[in-house]
Amino acid sequence: MMAIPVFTLHLNYQVLPGRITIGKYDGSHCCLTAATTGDKVLIHSPHKRDKEFSLLNINQNITALCAGRLNPEEEKDILIVGTKGSLLAYHVENNSDIFYRQVPDGVNAITIGRLGLLENPLALVGGNCSIQGFDAKGNDPFWTVTGDNVRSLALLDVDGDGENELVVGSDDFELRIFKEDAIMAELTETEAITALAAFRNNRFAYALANGTVGVYDKLHRSWRVKSKNGTECLACFDLDGDGVEELVTGWSSGKVDARSSRTGEVLFRDVLSQPIAGLVCGDYSKAGTSQLIACSYSGEVRGYDSSSINKDESLQMETVRDLFAKKQALLLELKNYTSDPSSIGIPANTRLLTEISTCQSSNQHKGGHIVLALSTNNLTVIRAVTVFAEGIFNGETFVVHPRLNEVSTSLTVPLVPPKDNPLDIHIRAFVGAIPTTEQLHVFELTRQLPRFSMYMLSGPASAKTNSTLLQTSFVSFRLSERVQRIDMWVNQNFLLPHEYNMASSTVNGGGGGGAEWSICVTSLRDNAPLLMMYDAGKLTVGTENMSLAADIVQSLASYLNITQLQTYAEFPKAFDQLKDCLNRVAELQQNATKMAASVADSSNLIRSLVVQAEDARLLQCLKDMREFYTELYQVNEEMINTHTVRRNNHEQLLEALRQINLIIQQAARLRVGKPKSDIVNFSRTAIANNNINALIKIIKTGEV
Amino acid sequence: MALELTRVDYTLLGLTSPQCMKLLPSSGGKSVQKAVIGDQDGVLQVLSLKIGEIQISFKTLPGEKITRISLGGALGTVQDKIFSSSKTEVRGYTKKGKMFLSFDTSLTEHIKLMHISGSDLLVTGDHVYNHYKDCKDTSSYLSSDKISDVIALNAEKLHKLVPVLACEDRCLRVLDESQVAQTIPLDSNPTCQYLYHNNGGDSGDFLLYGTEDGSIGLLQITKCGHDVKWVIKNEKQEGGVVSMHCYDMTGDGVADLLVGRGDGLIQVYSMPTDVGEDIQPPAQRFSYTCNESVTSVQGGVLGNTGCDEIVATTYTGWFFGLTTAVVEKQVSGDSSSANSKLTNDDKLKIIKLRAEVDDLEQKVMKEREKYESATQEDSPGFSTIPFLSITDKMWLSKEDAIYQLNLEVQTAIDNVLLQSDVPVVLLDVEKNSAVVSYSSCDSSSENKLLATYRCQMNTTRLELRFRTQEGQQGTLMAYITPLVQPKCCQIRHYPIKLLSLHTRCHQFDSTRPYNVLSLKGGFSLAEMHAWISFCLPEVPEKVPLSDPAVLVFESTFVGSMLRCSYSKGEAEFQSDNICTISILKDVLTKEATKKKIKLDISSSINNESIDSLLRLLDPKIDYYSNLEKKCTLIEALKDVETHEENVAECLMPEYKEILKNQSQLRAEHSKSSGFLDRLKAFITELFLHWYKFKGINVKSRIPLLVEILDNYNFEELLSAFKQ
Repeated sequence: MMAIPVFTLHLNYQVLPGRITIGKYDGSHCCLTAATTGDKVLIHSPHKRDKEFSLLNINQNITALCAGRLNPEEEKDILIVGTKGSLLAYHVENNSDIFYRQVPDGVNAITIGRLGLLENPLALVGGNCSIQGFDAKGNDPFWTVTGDNVRSLALLDVDGDGENELVVGSDDFELRIFKEDAIMAELTETEAITALAAFRNNRFAYALANGTVGVYDKLHRSWRVKSKNGTECLACFDLDGDGVEELVTGWSSGKVDARSSRTGEVLFRDVLSQPIAGLVCGDYSKAGTSQLIACSYSGEVRGYDSSSINKDESLQMETVRDLFAKKQALLLELKNYTSDPSSIGIPANTRLLTEISTCQSSNQHKGGHIVLALSTNNLTVIRAVTVFAEGIFNGETFVVHPRLNEVSTSLTVPLVPPKDNPLDIHIRAFVGAIPTTEQLHVFELTRQLPRFSMYMLSGPASAKTNSTLLQTSFVSFRLSERVQRIDMWVNQNFLLPHEYNMASSTVNGGGGGGAEWSICVTSLRDNAPLLMMYDAGKLTVGTENMSLAADIVQSLASYLNITQLQTYAEFPKAFDQLKDCLNRVAELQQNATKMAASVADSSNLIRSLVVQAEDARLLQCLKDMREFYTELYQVNEEMINTHTVRRNNHEQLLEALRQINLIIQQAARLRVGKPKSDIVNFSRTAIANNNINALIKIIKTGEV
Repeated sequence: MALELTRVDYTLLGLTSPQCMKLLPSSGGKSVQKAVIGDQDGVLQVLSLKIGEIQISFKTLPGEKITRISLGGALGTVQDKIFSSSKTEVRGYTKKGKMFLSFDTSLTEHIKLMHISGSDLLVTGDHVYNHYKDCKDTSSYLSSDKISDVIALNAEKLHKLVPVLACEDRCLRVLDESQVAQTIPLDSNPTCQYLYHNNGGDSGDFLLYGTEDGSIGLLQITKCGHDVKWVIKNEKQEGGVVSMHCYDMTGDGVADLLVGRGDGLIQVYSMPTDVGEDIQPPAQRFSYTCNESVTSVQGGVLGNTGCDEIVATTYTGWFFGLTTAVVEKQVSGDSSSANSKLTNDDKLKIIKLRAEVDDLEQKVMKEREKYESATQEDSPGFSTIPFLSITDKMWLSKEDAIYQLNLEVQTAIDNVLLQSDVPVVLLDVEKNSAVVSYSSCDSSSENKLLATYRCQMNTTRLELRFRTQEGQQGTLMAYITPLVQPKCCQIRHYPIKLLSLHTRCHQFDSTRPYNVLSLKGGFSLAEMHAWISFCLPEVPEKVPLSDPAVLVFESTFVGSMLRCSYSKGEAEFQSDNICTISILKDVLTKEATKKKIKLDISSSINNESIDSLLRLLDPKIDYYSNLEKKCTLIEALKDVETHEENVAECLMPEYKEILKNQSQLRAEHSKSSGFLDRLKAFITELFLHWYKFKGINVKSRIPLLVEILDNYNFEELLSAFKQ
């Protein structure tokens, strides 16, 4: 159903996508605020007759924008502007800066509100692997790290305990829910999470870079849909006035649609001529109620409310149409069963058999991979196979289509999941009696890949040669659990050629629960070994890869229902990297200051040269003027060069900071429960004091 | 004056072929008419509506698929006899349902098209046209190209039967007995013909035609020639014309033109009253899009007495009206009694339908279980699925040298897998909402494209657009899986010819300088014809009857021409494009060697031809390079605009112009995306082929050429070819 806008207006400024917000800067009137080209912030105040538009010069690329009540003692909204290296809190009404902070991790997303039991509202800022919370005075009482660059943030009460949690969407496809500084849950999605929106009733909506939108109810996904267009922004708004908020999505095609938050059914839509840059809610037509406001790239603004929907469309017509269509589909299906025996078919008892195994390398696919082998149980042939799985292929599907003369009763599909996640793969095989048949039967089935499917069991020889790993690079912890349970975990999470049954085989050797248990597998990605040994109530996981060790700890802990776990970690490689990064950061920061000074010098020089050249022109000394301009040109060239160097420097700095955050996050993931959140806090103090040795000790032991 | 029409769904029938629904003439005034519909299950039925309820006057038993419905009767009387064609048979019914004619033509080809004019019956198959008078064979004609429609001009007014065939070589052929009296060349393949004002106009010789690329024109066909009165060009990429009818929908006393198109568009055009000199083409008054292709449209009175409506059928069998009657309920309180009755009727209809659906569901459940158990057992039973009905059409869009492929299935499509063994670039189609996913192609396999389209709910029709490259031939395969249980899929093959971007044309421009490739050898005409059809699209299936046979092609991409003239033992190809000659030479040699036929090949290169071809391309390259430059400037200019208060003062007029037209430029740019790169790639190819014929290897000079192309200058480019 088309929605008719209640008002439209044109800002006449280009609007940058995702950087649009609405604020009551004087405490009562809504002002649309957007970042525009030329590093400016545009504030549109429709209630100010004479001065509707005002521009703020930021002089740096604006990366995020948010308005909200940060100061609990004042009714007025504060505008927070984020750039790639700083954060500015600005009081629009007073035209004054409230605070300005350097944020070396960058600002990718901002949200304002109360988090958990923290006293004051915070401006939560997501950067490269880190999240910081600033209060109205510019202090940052909240800081934590996360797995990858933050793309989107939302504050809402997910678990229904009356306190807000922070939902963080990041580039590594993970949705993390922070209860203050502890991670409450991690939800894996299929692409980078570009937008989040909070509903009132423990639900939130998300959008992915591949055009998917969906809704989570608490920690369960209610629905999702994927479109060929990109999602630009999300908003939650009760458009039809039934008391339930709909999910409103702005698309790259210029479409705005509202979907039922429960089912995902499209209720209303409208199309603008340009991609949608932002969606906000506020009272813009002085109607006393909020409107949904959509703004396109070109600055076209449309507002909608419940009056923009024409409910009188004949619902009956639609029902009749649906019923007819259903009838037709049923008739067709019926026709398929009462089929005409003359056409070529396949035996009714044809089955598609699947087998999943690991393989180091084959003719079909170089390098380690998982082999999905498909075959039929009779002489029917498999013409082609499509495999649908998210996050492991370039697109969403992978197709195997052999040459006509190579079509046979079996077919193999190589799979290389880039990450250690459990995966559902949906297989669709086209099966026919002969390769050249025109109409084929389609077999659809779904198989699960375990979390650590990219690891191959290696022989005892390899276990022996790599056994030193258990002493040099490992994580170990006390675990009082029956060996059988660990066996079960291994069988569930690894792709092994046969059931692993260490418990029964060691019964003769050791006694009871203290039996020695070990396994050695090799990664198919880089051939690195992974060893696990359980001896006398202590489990040691030996690997050079700290992130893998963290994954194993988390997987085991959740399988065995461990809520609190302190571990001892020794990862010399990661520690070296950490030291290196910290040193580099110091060095790069020094460089940055040095270069900033030289830039200041050059700009002074430029200023004076311009004045001199202009003077020369007025005095008709053309020769001097030419000289000044030549010099000016050179200085300018120089500045451009320094700028590139500065940019490189900055990028390196960001990367180094990212690495540090990442290592701390992995170190936290080596623990469970309170020790996990402790690490982040301890590390922060250590970094603030620039105490590398203390930091490494924290990562090793989990204690100060 | 815009029309406001409301859709009313009447019923859902079986699949329908084009022009298989007609409204019987009314008994006078604006009283309710009856509709005749024939579907692909072979059921012919006559129905009318009584207070929203369908009343069937008569209905035949299922049989062979009905391909056409035509109304007829003795000349000068009411045309209310119903004729239907199926397989090789034509049947006639009275409006009461009495069969008065059953005539078997005993032709080898099945009847595809039919037209009735008095006691004359015109039928055609794919290539053969036959004329029967009082069921006696009087004349026939064999066309080498497929026939897509047949009609006769108004015999009553002309006192003579003038049949017109629409043929797939972009021509209308006017026949006189068994001879072609006149050939009328058109820009695109004609798909549909209709008599102006239902009767051919005042003089009876006005004919409307609709084409594959969606344009519509009006012709006057006289003994001595033809006259094009107007043409509605298709600028919005609307679908091909499937059905037309003339009916006064706007109520201005002049019949309007109703058009049904292959992409589901129904339009009303108001036609000019006068067909004199320099008249304006018709203006669109109304348009409606349904999601399936329209198979027939008729104007008349069906649902409510006195209310004009457009009655239409779609491919999957929807039978609906677009009515001028106001169906929507008034919100005022008083009239609620009458309205509630109406809604009650609707409610009853829904309840009835729902019961039907529930009943069917039960049945299907049972069958499904039966099927499941059959697959469980170790029984030797077979699982077969009836052949799915899929209509597909692939054609080359002349304007932008891009192929379009339309697929339509009788039920919702679940997904489509595309595989190609030649490089094919899929392009985005705005109308289509399916999610596309590309799969990587292993270089060792012969797959050059693997892509899947996952369709959204209720998609029965999918439009695809893709770009091909000349010089490689292969097949594009589509695996179409509809959303029906048990799941099955159908494979469709689409050949991509070597010179895929060529299209047939009528006129050969003899003023251009041409390169010539001559062949002599022991091949037959049929063999040569087969080779040509291997290389080029749109080659007639049948071997041409003329000797020597001549086919003229034009490249839609660069505009070069190709003329093939061939007879037994001898063939000559003329083209101003050296690439075309080179490709043909390679392939013909290879094909002849395969058949062990000795060929004597000689080619003469005309040095002028390169000049002429580059000159032909010059405006295109110039335009697109300029467009590209302008578009890159937009961002920077906009930045200047935000920084400067007085843009008007500080910018050059040229830049101001760019700022002013930015949205238009952007749209143009996105529409032509990749065209410039394609052109550049073509010129590089041309460069290689040109020097190959001269016996020089110029691989090392390509970077220089690329540089010239990037900073385009015609003279420099020409000199690069003249070294």
